[in-house]
Amino acid sequence: MLELRDVHRRYGDTVALDGLSLVVPEGELVGFVGPNGAGKTTAMRIALGVLEQDAGEVLWRGARAKREVQRRFGYMPEERGLYPKMRVDRQLGYLAKLHGRSGSEAERAAGRWIERLGLARQAQRPVEELSLGNQQRVQLAAALVHDPEALILDEPFSGLDPIGADVLAEVLFERARGGAAVVFSSHQLELVERLCDSVAIVNHGRIVAAGRVDDLRAERSEPRLLVEVEANGDRWLEDVPGVEVVEHDGDGVLLELGHGTDDQLVLDAARRAGRVRRFAPARPTLAELFREVVDR
Amino acid sequence: MSLRKATGLVARREFSERLRQRAFRISIVVTVVLVAIVGVLAGVLGGDQPERYEVGAQGAEAAAIVGAARAVAPRFDARVEVRRFDTPAAARSAVRDESVDAAVVGGTVVTLDNLPDELEQALQAGAREVRAAAALRAEGVSGANARRALDPPPLRVSALEGGGDEDERSGVALVASLLLYLQLIGYGLAVATGVVEEKASRVVEVLLAAIPARALLAGKLIGIGLLGLTQLLLVGVVGLAAAVASGALELDGATLGALGVALVWFLFGYALWASMFAVAGAIVSRQEDLQSSSTVLTMLLVVAYLVAFPVIDDPSTPLATISALVPLSSPIVMPALVALGEASAVEIAASLALLALSVAVLVRLGASIYEAAILRMGRPLKLAEAWRAARA
Repeated sequence: MLELRDVHRRYGDTVALDGLSLVVPEGELVGFVGPNGAGKTTAMRIALGVLEQDAGEVLWRGARAKREVQRRFGYMPEERGLYPKMRVDRQLGYLAKLHGRSGSEAERAAGRWIERLGLARQAQRPVEELSLGNQQRVQLAAALVHDPEALILDEPFSGLDPIGADVLAEVLFERARGGAAVVFSSHQLELVERLCDSVAIVNHGRIVAAGRVDDLRAERSEPRLLVEVEANGDRWLEDVPGVEVVEHDGDGVLLELGHGTDDQLVLDAARRAGRVRRFAPARPTLAELFREVVDR
Repeated sequence: MSLRKATGLVARREFSERLRQRAFRISIVVTVVLVAIVGVLAGVLGGDQPERYEVGAQGAEAAAIVGAARAVAPRFDARVEVRRFDTPAAARSAVRDESVDAAVVGGTVVTLDNLPDELEQALQAGAREVRAAAALRAEGVSGANARRALDPPPLRVSALEGGGDEDERSGVALVASLLLYLQLIGYGLAVATGVVEEKASRVVEVLLAAIPARALLAGKLIGIGLLGLTQLLLVGVVGLAAAVASGALELDGATLGALGVALVWFLFGYALWASMFAVAGAIVSRQEDLQSSSTVLTMLLVVAYLVAFPVIDDPSTPLATISALVPLSSPIVMPALVALGEASAVEIAASLALLALSVAVLVRLGASIYEAAILRMGRPLKLAEAWRAARA
């Protein structure tokens, strides 16, 4: 398990991390989301040891993570970077060696990932001659080539075409199921929701919500209903206390039910007003949860 | 992974990836060819090749005289080859059709017109030696004693103001300072652009997730430095070989010593300059900004090179003494002084000690600034900012 515990970091007068705590269990895929400038990149750099925290701890399997341990983590920085003039195969082999693999092991691993990510035909060309999509694949291979126990990826999906995104998703899922602790940041919340076992939402340098998406939904205090009635306006709602209109959605209306309000009372009122076409609990998307916790 | 192992991996990559680049290989070949040409031209244009004469000999005594002349000819800046003739007529006709330059027939030197001075001196010396030996033998002096009496050790020359081969030496000194200047600026800038390349391509963040910044810097300095040393050695050996083959230089202890000194001072000078160039690279994020951050360094190097000219012209000035001691200029000036034979052992030792000391300080200083600046992206840092960050 990779854990950040109460981590603080400032850049001059700017507070980047303000007591951030994050848990990434081994065997799980964790989505790390938050608005720009919330501290995601800083947190990831600290987890890797590329950056020093001012206070707080980075733990690996329960003990303070040593620098040698952190050096074995796989990393894809937000700003992609490879040697432009170095051949793909040599570059991957070199990075595997820097992460501690022996010469022949490193070459085998490079060959394996080149094959796996469909780069065989580009293997002997310098990176700068590859298409952007293929450069992204090399970047992914660079993070994975030494078979890391923990993977930290900063916006790995940005700039990928749908096919590249599918390959990446598949590989990340596979690594997590293979026992690695995987955390990645992303602004594509649908994708995070679909892919991740759990999410952590960061804002102003601290975690504002974390856990399984279903648990986050359940935690939300006020349940919501989506109702569609053949009626004139929302006047039928005046009969039901404790109900608030969140928004109109086409012919339907999204309602938030106050604490203790019985949804069956709402249904009765709706039926009195006209034909009920739709009556369903509204499951908030991650994007909605995100907006709520970040705006709060 | 240990710091040493990481450094080794980085150094190996720097060395082999650079060697693989065509532009680099072409530049090495061009430099080597140029130096070889300079070496050969120095011999051909220098014109102090000994003149070669072919001399005929008829009869046993004549053959002995020309043989003795051949042995002493280098003293007169000449080379003599012997050709035997069976009859005086054959010898004379060979002179007439100019297949030999002269012929010794009996007690006479036969020539077509006048006899060149150095050849006459060589032949007269040969004749004196052969005839004196014959006279001594006739008096009953044994062969070995006769040879000793006839070949006393020559006087040695001790010049109070420079040696006789001053031109030759200052030529070597000029070439040595030029080569060192080119090497230091070339490989210093290679370090700076290498550092910026890693920042500009952002690969540095991937690298620093795997290895410490110190290993990245040390590996880069060592890899590029070894390449520079290899090139200097190659150029030095080829240049010397060409100059010796063409007769411009004699292969002696002084020449080899100058090459050795050039290599040692390059190593230290490179460590000094390259760690400053690494800082110039680390404080910027784009190749476009490198020029302004490295201008001061290239200017200083040019000044150090320009100082070498008056020093080679007159090595007895205070400028020579000081610039051979100051570590910024000593890597260029000191090898030139050694090539001139104008540096005492004390001066050499003091210069090297000062250089090594400043290398120890500057490499450490450079590494701290590099570490602090290497992950700062965006606008170029001021040196003072980088320094403050390094202290923090």
